[in-house]
Amino acid sequence: MDILTGLLHGFQVATTPASLGMCILGVVLGTVIGVLPGLGPSATIAMLLPLTMKLDPTGAMIMLAGIYYGAKYGGSTTSILLNVPGESSSVVTCIDGYQMARKGRAGPALGMAAISSFIAGTFGVVALMLVAPPLAQLSLAFSSPEYFALMVMGLAMVVLLAGDSLVKALLSMLVGLWISGIGTDLFTATSRFTFGSVQLLGGIEFILVAIGVFAVGEVLANVEPHDPPKMLPVPKGIRNLLPTWDDMKRCRFAFVNGSVVGFIIGVLPGAGSTIASFISYGIEKAVSRHPEEFGKGAIEGVAAPEGSNNAETGGALVPLLTLGIPGSGTTAILPAALVLWGFKPGPLFIHDQPQLFWGLVASMYIGNVVLLILNLPLVALFAQLLRVPAYVLQPLILGVAIVGVYASDASMFQLGLLALFGLVGYAMRKLDFPTAPLVLGLVLGDPMERALRQSLMMSQGHISILLRPIPAVLLVFAALLLAVPLFRKLNAIRVQMLESEEA
Amino acid sequence: MTRIRSTSAAVVAALATLVPFASHADWKPTKPVEFIVHTGPGGGNDLLARAVVTMLEQEKLVPVRMQVINKPGGGGAVAAAAVADRKDDPNTVGFITSVWLAGPLTAKEQKITVFDLKPIAQLLREPAVFAVRADSPYKTLKDFIEAAKAHPGQLKQSGGSITSRDNIVREQLQHATGAKWAYVSFPGGGERLAALLGGHVDIMVIEPQEAGENVRAGKLRVLAQVSETRLPKWADIPTLKEAGYDIHPTPQIRGVVGPPQMPAEAVKYWIDTFDKLHRSASWKKYVEQNELEDAFVAGDAFRKSMEETSKELREQFVKAGIKVTR
Repeated sequence: MDILTGLLHGFQVATTPASLGMCILGVVLGTVIGVLPGLGPSATIAMLLPLTMKLDPTGAMIMLAGIYYGAKYGGSTTSILLNVPGESSSVVTCIDGYQMARKGRAGPALGMAAISSFIAGTFGVVALMLVAPPLAQLSLAFSSPEYFALMVMGLAMVVLLAGDSLVKALLSMLVGLWISGIGTDLFTATSRFTFGSVQLLGGIEFILVAIGVFAVGEVLANVEPHDPPKMLPVPKGIRNLLPTWDDMKRCRFAFVNGSVVGFIIGVLPGAGSTIASFISYGIEKAVSRHPEEFGKGAIEGVAAPEGSNNAETGGALVPLLTLGIPGSGTTAILPAALVLWGFKPGPLFIHDQPQLFWGLVASMYIGNVVLLILNLPLVALFAQLLRVPAYVLQPLILGVAIVGVYASDASMFQLGLLALFGLVGYAMRKLDFPTAPLVLGLVLGDPMERALRQSLMMSQGHISILLRPIPAVLLVFAALLLAVPLFRKLNAIRVQMLESEEA
Repeated sequence: MTRIRSTSAAVVAALATLVPFASHADWKPTKPVEFIVHTGPGGGNDLLARAVVTMLEQEKLVPVRMQVINKPGGGGAVAAAAVADRKDDPNTVGFITSVWLAGPLTAKEQKITVFDLKPIAQLLREPAVFAVRADSPYKTLKDFIEAAKAHPGQLKQSGGSITSRDNIVREQLQHATGAKWAYVSFPGGGERLAALLGGHVDIMVIEPQEAGENVRAGKLRVLAQVSETRLPKWADIPTLKEAGYDIHPTPQIRGVVGPPQMPAEAVKYWIDTFDKLHRSASWKKYVEQNELEDAFVAGDAFRKSMEETSKELREQFVKAGIKVTR
């Protein structure tokens, strides 16, 4: 009953005209910056922070949270339409989202992203409301060995992202792992693969590589002289702009997968929405009855990651509000905001400020509904973008990619890297190397290495620390995943033998 | 805040007498001012710079628009290069932290250091405390160190990079006592605290603000303060020296610098402006809310103190077996 009264009180707070206005303002702003590559929620929140000093803290908190989860809705738009990820958590959406757009199904892809975001986002809020305190305690049991095993499981998903050749996929992943190692090592303060460059001391941004390899590489491949770019088919009629009932049925599991995986990974302080989106995509493909459609425009490949990055929002708020520990990089700015408004983020926050907590929770229910209502009509608008001819669209993609990278820190060096990774992406396409494993290795490499070294430092070098129950189970999963191609091969041989016997 | 070191107090006093006479030919910014920081939006230094912008506006101390420019990467190296690129621009100010001092010592890629730039003023010292879980058997720092002596290498401390203050204090304590315990690096403060709360490590050096709430909730116990004198909010917690360990912790500072050839009158303007800021009510409130230490030191005294800190850091790095490159 406590929760019910709390929630009722929260809705009283969240439905005052002022709070409602801040909520709508936040989610609209969030959608806009989500759509624009390069401009992320952290940057926007940091810039708005001084302005919020003059506002009522409840309204300000509602608005900033709106920006944060609104951006997750908007992030998929350019991923699907232009193959340019709008946010790092929407990188994996490019894989199937853009293929759907190429087949004239941009509308359903965008619509599904919004619907899945809504379902999983709402699930995240419900879970935040119901289980936040006990779950936060549970999440503390998760430490470096567990993270290591989680990342290994993520990397094992390379076998699912591989095209025809597993060897090529593994090579591609290894390059990604290598790139993730560039920069200053946290444990020894030594520089790795920086080639004397100051700019490389901080490592290479994951989102930059993703934009280069996916978007720039795609544009380069599309403008080859002997292969005149075809215009993307444009969906006609309102019916083709939204997912069909069949699409919805196909995505039933993706909604559950995205919701649960996104929320759980969100709760863990050492993994954020990008990792959540990759893992839920992998799971979706692993359990799918038609895994061969993934990478060629499977709608579940959009629903799962887009759902999980929204459920992550609710998850990330769990340790933030119950322990004062930000659940991911983006939420790290929120405790600073709370301090600025005169609050004390920490274990007693919900107890001390119930109206703020419940107001925020209630506003997130409202915000998710507003986002759904806002985003579905936008589908029709955005899908029209594909009406522009290729000679406009291809430069447009390049332009969006360049502005997106330049906007984050106005550095020519980063643009040079973008060009380099564009060429890498082009070469990989020509040589038939899959690009997704490279991005996967880049996302997971650094956290995996870190977790392994932390584990071994904790255990004084004893490998047994990796065999605690949770990591052991995850590592077994990883081993099973790696065995999948082997089983398929054996199965193929068996089928062949059966056929030859029949013959 | 009354806790100003004797050197800084002298500088402030000297400045206070200087300022009223310097009325003619005063330089004032006429173009928008840019504050360069070494973190992305939302990072510690970025938030400080944005708070300073707000406070300077509130106190009407700077007549033009101010903008924060993010130059992340390389532990301050990219930002330092960006400030140096502005040559004699009087409208650029860089926000530095101790990271700018530590970085060049271990990365030879860093050609430009903070000593190539024009020192304006040190603004803050960041205090810290040693904390353990509330149910930990260690009631005092001595308990912990004795336990570490009895079981060398088995106790663990979570912290940041190996060059961070967390690890330097540990090295100093280990050196002074002969105890040995492990140091586990985590990139984010949240992960460090989660590792302590989850019982995966035994101790950590934590910001007083973060520790305070966890103490109030009965989750953490604070053993000692990593500072020279007791902080007002932690009057009953001993400093390292009072806890029986006569070590001099290298201070973690934040300050402002200008481009290498910033004209003297502009340097004077900025020293004056930040001096006024640090006396203002909004600054006092900010320092108190964030549990920081006001530590204004201007101009050459700031350079001297940074030189000392850099030398100390280098010695500590060498002792700790960290490879120094200069």
